[in-house]
Amino acid sequence: MTSLKSKGFFSKFYSWLPIVVLYVSVLNEFDVNYLDLDFFSFNFPFILIFFFTLKDFKNFDYLLVFLAGLINDTVVGLPLGLSSLSFMIICIATSYFRNITIRPNQVKDWFYFLFVIILVNSLNYSILTLFFSYNLILWGYVVNTFFTFLFYLIFLTIFKFYLKGIND
Amino acid sequence: MASSRDDFIIAIRSAFLKKSTQQKFSLLSLVFTSIFIIVLSNLDFKAVRYLKIGINELVYRSSFVVSIPENFIKDTFIEVSDYTTFFNDYKKKRLELSKLKSNFVSSEIIQNENRELKELINDYVSTSDKILAKIIVDHESPFLKSIIINKGSKDNIKIGTNIYDQSYLVGRVIEVNYKTSRVLLLSDLNSNVPVTIAPQNIQAIVTGSGDNYGQIKYIKDGLTGEFDEESIIYTSGTGAIFKSGIPIGTLEIIKENSSDEFSVEFYSDFSQLKYVFAEITSISEIPDQNVSEPDNETNNSINAKLKILEDELEIIEETNSKFLEENIDLKNEINNLNNKLLILNNELSSKNITISQFNIDKTELEFLRLNLEFGHKCRKSNKLFQKSVGFEPGSDEYKKCVLNKGVIIND
Repeated sequence: MTSLKSKGFFSKFYSWLPIVVLYVSVLNEFDVNYLDLDFFSFNFPFILIFFFTLKDFKNFDYLLVFLAGLINDTVVGLPLGLSSLSFMIICIATSYFRNITIRPNQVKDWFYFLFVIILVNSLNYSILTLFFSYNLILWGYVVNTFFTFLFYLIFLTIFKFYLKGIND
Repeated sequence: MASSRDDFIIAIRSAFLKKSTQQKFSLLSLVFTSIFIIVLSNLDFKAVRYLKIGINELVYRSSFVVSIPENFIKDTFIEVSDYTTFFNDYKKKRLELSKLKSNFVSSEIIQNENRELKELINDYVSTSDKILAKIIVDHESPFLKSIIINKGSKDNIKIGTNIYDQSYLVGRVIEVNYKTSRVLLLSDLNSNVPVTIAPQNIQAIVTGSGDNYGQIKYIKDGLTGEFDEESIIYTSGTGAIFKSGIPIGTLEIIKENSSDEFSVEFYSDFSQLKYVFAEITSISEIPDQNVSEPDNETNNSINAKLKILEDELEIIEETNSKFLEENIDLKNEINNLNNKLLILNNELSSKNITISQFNIDKTELEFLRLNLEFGHKCRKSNKLFQKSVGFEPGSDEYKKCVLNKGVIIND
């Protein structure tokens, strides 16, 4: 890692990597469902935002997250501002959780993540069906929440490895 | 108790309002901005609309660029799998092509007929022009099924423009930007298409299922028994959102307990779309050249009727002249045939004469032969002291005697 620090550009890029990945994922609508499984999907931006805002990562700017939400809405075709609101709710939840947590625990974080994504997806679903008269499959939202919850553990390992690289 | 509530309030306040050293905006201000944008984007202000179009253009292009690596991998995989099934596909396509060729001819006839009939009733004629559009973003959201194409208001795309894959309907435009548009696919839950189910000719609505098939809804009770797996579904044109007669897919009957469920298997695979056709339609009235005053509607209809009658008269006259020509031809033919008959009759009579002559010759020859053999027995003898019993040569009795081989028969 020392060599990484010496290389200015790569070091900077590495430290901004989470934001870059967030923007790529919202632009690409990445869900790795190449097996055509019914309802299979997970929300990668939720995992990314939850993890890095919980860790209060220095380059993870709320404004950039907010803009990523606007892009996500444009790509997916949702009412503009809805994903930004969802992302901001995740940021508030993590900020609150960080304030009340003295001794961080991974399992607690994981289940708190479940609570947060259920809250956000419910809000999302309610706004879309009640205010925008969208027809949505509730079951799809449930499966999405479940897989996002499961995938959190996998990405947690990768992100921790990334943070270790930064700290080194 | 009070202290724990205070802690909660402090934590919440801190979460909403406190900015970390690296944060430029508090979360509360960003939440309010989000809500403000949600409300604003749904109000149809001109400035907001143009801003939205600008953002859409920028984001769609960026999304296209970002998706290049993923699309490359996906396309490579599809190409490889295509090569493995290439020969079977080729055979299948050849069969389909021959069928389509015959269908195309009958379809052209029907189209012409349709146009003529529309002209006859002074209806409008819609001329359509299909333009090729490339799909720049096709990331299927788990909840919404839509694609982005690289044609927009610059290319005369409007909200509601029908989008095709070859000649099959795939969806309609729901959002138009300057150089891009969003197309709502038929598989989306929010898509409703009025359809006709052929050959039973039953009207229904096809709704997207959120998956790669559609569901048939709102069918009149008692008509569902008439369906079979061969039924074809095409747009009915009701509501004038979609053109009529565009094929969508085939019917699938799913048996569930006591009742049957009906779904539509789309002709197009929406996940494999790369290029689509957008139909630019313009409606033009049939020009009525005879009418000069626009307010005279009665004259209009009388003129139209007169025109029809004149056309009919023209057709009858044409038919009559054709009949007359045919009559003359037939008369000539009869004359020719009569002449031929006369010649043949003459030939026949001459042949008959020849035959009768031949018969006479034959009898004569026979008589001469018998005369040589038995003539001496029938001839009258002029010798002395010999009783004369014969006949004079040349007499009828002599002839009879010769023909009876010398036997004299006394009458």
